[in-house]
Amino acid sequence: MTITRRQAGGLILGAALAAPLHFTRTAHAQPKAGDELVVGIWGGAQERIVREHVEKALLAKYPGVKISYVLGGTPERRARAYAERGRPSFDVIYLNIFESRQAVRDGVTQAPTDAVPQFANLYDVAKLGGYGVAFNPVTVVYDKRKASKPVTSWQDLWNPEWRGRIAWPSYPGAQGTAGLLMAARIFGGSENAIDIGFRKIRELKPFAAIQGSQDQLFGMFDQGVADISIEFGSFTRSYAESRNPNIEIANPVEGQALAMNVACITVGTRNQKLAEEWVNLHLSAPCMLAYAQQIYYSPTVKNLSIPADLQPKLVLGPDVAKLVDFDWDVVIRNQPAWTNRFNREIAG
Amino acid sequence: MTGTPAQRPFFGPILAFPVTFWLLLTFAAPFAVLTLLSLHEYPDPFGPVLQAPSTAQFTAIFGDEFLVRVIIETLLLGAGVTALTVLLGYPLALWLVRLPLRWRPLAFAVILIPLLTNVVVRSLGIVLLLAPDGLINQALGLLGIPPFRHMLYTHGAVALALAQVFMPFMVLALYDVLQGTSPRVHEAAESLGASRIVRVFLVDVPLSLPGLRAGIIIVFLMASTAYVSATLLGGKKVWTTGMLVWQEALQNLNAPMAAALSLVMTLASTLFALSMIWITRRLTPWRSAAPSGFRRLPGWIIRMLDLFGPAIGKVLLVCSLLLLLLPLVLVVIQSFNDVPQATVAGFRAFTLKWYERVLFGGAYAASFWISVQLAAATAIVAISLALPAAFALARHRFPGLTGLAAFWTLPLSLPHVAIGVGMLKLLQVFTAIPSFLGMLAVHVVLVLPFSITLLQASVEQLDKAQEDAAASLGASAPWRFFLIVMPGLAPGLLAASIMSFLISFGEVTVTSFLTTARMTTLPVRIYAEASFSLEPTVHAVSAILIVGTVVLLMILNRLVRLDRLYAR
Repeated sequence: MTITRRQAGGLILGAALAAPLHFTRTAHAQPKAGDELVVGIWGGAQERIVREHVEKALLAKYPGVKISYVLGGTPERRARAYAERGRPSFDVIYLNIFESRQAVRDGVTQAPTDAVPQFANLYDVAKLGGYGVAFNPVTVVYDKRKASKPVTSWQDLWNPEWRGRIAWPSYPGAQGTAGLLMAARIFGGSENAIDIGFRKIRELKPFAAIQGSQDQLFGMFDQGVADISIEFGSFTRSYAESRNPNIEIANPVEGQALAMNVACITVGTRNQKLAEEWVNLHLSAPCMLAYAQQIYYSPTVKNLSIPADLQPKLVLGPDVAKLVDFDWDVVIRNQPAWTNRFNREIAG
Repeated sequence: MTGTPAQRPFFGPILAFPVTFWLLLTFAAPFAVLTLLSLHEYPDPFGPVLQAPSTAQFTAIFGDEFLVRVIIETLLLGAGVTALTVLLGYPLALWLVRLPLRWRPLAFAVILIPLLTNVVVRSLGIVLLLAPDGLINQALGLLGIPPFRHMLYTHGAVALALAQVFMPFMVLALYDVLQGTSPRVHEAAESLGASRIVRVFLVDVPLSLPGLRAGIIIVFLMASTAYVSATLLGGKKVWTTGMLVWQEALQNLNAPMAAALSLVMTLASTLFALSMIWITRRLTPWRSAAPSGFRRLPGWIIRMLDLFGPAIGKVLLVCSLLLLLLPLVLVVIQSFNDVPQATVAGFRAFTLKWYERVLFGGAYAASFWISVQLAAATAIVAISLALPAAFALARHRFPGLTGLAAFWTLPLSLPHVAIGVGMLKLLQVFTAIPSFLGMLAVHVVLVLPFSITLLQASVEQLDKAQEDAAASLGASAPWRFFLIVMPGLAPGLLAASIMSFLISFGEVTVTSFLTTARMTTLPVRIYAEASFSLEPTVHAVSAILIVGTVVLLMILNRLVRLDRLYAR
C-alpha cells in the first residue's frame, strides 16, 4: 500500500505524539504482582477468546497481575475514554478503524510503536491508529436463490432485479459507512466527493428495510423481508453455515471495504509495559488463529500459517492488498453532516 | 399522623425532604451539566462545561423540519402506545383482581414476562408475529385473507412492541387501586341495576383513575424516551428522539445537540404529565370533597355496552395474554436451541449448553449476583424514600409540592442516554466513590419516579376510616401506621418493589457508562455481547428469571397478603 501525503502526515504526528512515550516507557518498571490491567472490549466470543488466549499467556509470564474487563459496545467505550482523556480508567480499549485513528489524533489513545514486537509483522493498514487486531471487511451479501447470476461487483446492487429487496445498512456504523463510501467510489466520487454516493443510493429506494445490525439483517433474511445487503463477511459466513445456506458472501472485483478492530493503548496508562505485552499476545499466532477459526476474523499479521481448509473463508495475502481503504480523517470529520443527510434522504 | 395539613403544616415538607435531598445529591448535578451542555454553541468533547451560553442548539432544532417532525412523531407514538397499553392492560388488571388468590402469583408472573425477557427476545417475537410469513399472516391465510406484507418496520410495529413491555407497569398501577374498591360499592351498583360491564365503566374506571393516571404517566414518559425497540422494530424507518439523542451523543460526539434535544422532549412530556394530573383532578372531584355532578349514560350506550362489552373485553384479554405469553414460548424454545445466534427463528437441535454457560460459566453467574444485589438494594432504598413522598402527595400537600413532584419525575422524562452523558462529565467524582454505592445512587434516581407514582395511587386509595377507627380505639400513630396503614399498603408496596427491582435489574443504558470491571451487571454483560453478536445464553437467562419469579411470588404469597384486607 502506498502512503498518501495525509497518511504520512498522520504517521509523523503519531510519531511525535509517541515520542515522549518512548521516554516514559524506560521509566516504567516491569509489571509486578498486584498490577491490574483494565481492558475495554466487546462481550461474547471476543471476551472468551482473549480470556483464553491472551490473559492466560500474560498471567503465565507475569504471575500475580490481574486482568479486568469492562464490557460494552464501542460507542459507550469511546465516549467514556474521551471523558477520561489523560487519566484513563482503561489501559487497553478496542475500537473500530475510524474511531481509533481519530482517538489517536485527539490524544485519547497512543499511536502504535515497535515496543510491541509483533508490530513489525502487521500489514501496513493495520499500523495506523493503534494495533489492528482483526480484519473484518464489509461486502455485499445476498440470497443466491434470488440472483440471476452471482454478484461480482458493488455495481450489482443497482441491478434492477434487486429493486425493493435491498436492506440498506444504516449510517453511521461500519456497514453503512462502507456502503456510502463504496457507492461514491464506484460511480466516480470519493470521500471528498460524496454527493454522487448519496444520489446513487437514493436511486435504489424504496428499500425493503434499513438494517441496523447483523442480527437484524439475519432476521430479515430468515423472514424473507430482504434478499441483499451490505454486511461483515465474517458474521454472515457463520450465519450462512449454521442457519441459511442460501446466503452468499460476494467478493467484488472492486475489493471488500476495509473494516478492522483495533487495540488501542490509552494515553496516560499506568501499565504501559503490561498493555504492550497484552497487545503483543493478542497478535500472537494462537489468538489470531482462534479468532479466525471461531468467528472468521482475518489476521492482521503476515507471519501466520493458516490451515488450508480455513483459507478460503478469510481475507488473506493478495485480498488484503485489495481491501478498499479510505481517508478516515475526511470520513470522521464529515460524519455528523453525512448522518444528517442520510437520516433525511435515505432512511427518512 | 393525626390532624389535617392545616394543623401540621410542617408535615408535608418533612415527608418530601428525603427524596428531594437524594435527587439533589445525585441527579441535580448531571441534570445541571446537561442543561449547561445544551447551551454550548458547538460540540467540543474536551472543552469546559461552563461556556458563554448560546441558544444555537435550540435554534437548530426548531429550524430543522426533520427534527421537529421526529419530536412530534415521538410524542404521538408515546400517546399511541399509552392508549394501546390502557386498552390491553385494563381488561388484564380486571382479570387479575377477580382471579382466586392462589392463582395470582402465577398470573403476576405472566404479566411480568415482558420485563423478565431481553429486549432482543421480545423484538424477535414481534418480528415473528408481523413478518410477511408471520403468525398473523398465517392465521389470516387460514381465513382466506391475503397477507399484509408491510406490517414490520412501521410505527405500528414499534407501538405494539412498546405496549407489550410497558403493559406490566399499567397493570400493576391499576391492580392496586382496583383491589381497593370495596365489594360493597359493587353490591351497591348491582342493587341499582348496573350490569357487570356498566359497573366497570361507571364504578371501576372512575374509582381507578388515580391508578390509571399513574400508569398513563409512566407509560407515556417511557414510550417517549424509548429507542432500543424503536431501532429494532422501526428499522430506521421510524425515528424517535431517543434514537437521535443516542446518535448525536455517542456516534457524533455532539453532546450539546443531544442535551438540547433531551431537554425539549423533557419539557414536552412533563407538560403532558402535568396536564394528566390536572385532568384526573378535574375528573375526580370527590377526592377534594367537591360536589360531583351525576351523569347519566344514554340508554343506547348502556345497551351497546351490555351487548358487545363482555365479548370485546374477552377478546382484548385474550389478545393481551397472548402478547404477554409470546416471549415465554420463544424463550423456552430458544434456550434449548443449538444455534450460534440468539435471533434464529427456527429450532435446530436440542442443547443444554446455554444453561451450562449461564449457571457454571463463572462470568454470567457473577454478573447475575451483582445485578440481584444492586436491584434489591435499589428497591429497598427507593421504596423507603418514595413512601414518605407518596404520603406528602396524597395527604399533606403544601405550596410548591406540584413543582417538587415534577422534579421527582424528571429522571423518567429524560432519555437515559442523556443522563449518561451528564454523568460522563462527572465521571471523576463518580469514580471516587465505591462503585456499588455509585451505581446504587444512580439506579435509585431512575427508579424513584416509578415508585413514587405507584405508591401515591396506593396511599390515595387507603381507607381513612379504618385509621380513624383505630385512633378512636386509642391506637397511637406508630401503631396505626404498622397495623393499619402498612397492611393496607401491602399490595401497593409489593407492586412498587417488584417494579423497582425489575427496573434496576434490567437497566443498561446509564449503567453501561458507569460500569467497572468489578461491577459488570447482567444487562451490561448481555448488551456487550449483543454489540458483537448475541448468543442464546440470553434466552437461558430469561428462562431462569421467569422460573425464579414464579417461585419467589409463590413464597411471597404464603408470607404476605397480596390483596387488601377488605377486598375479599
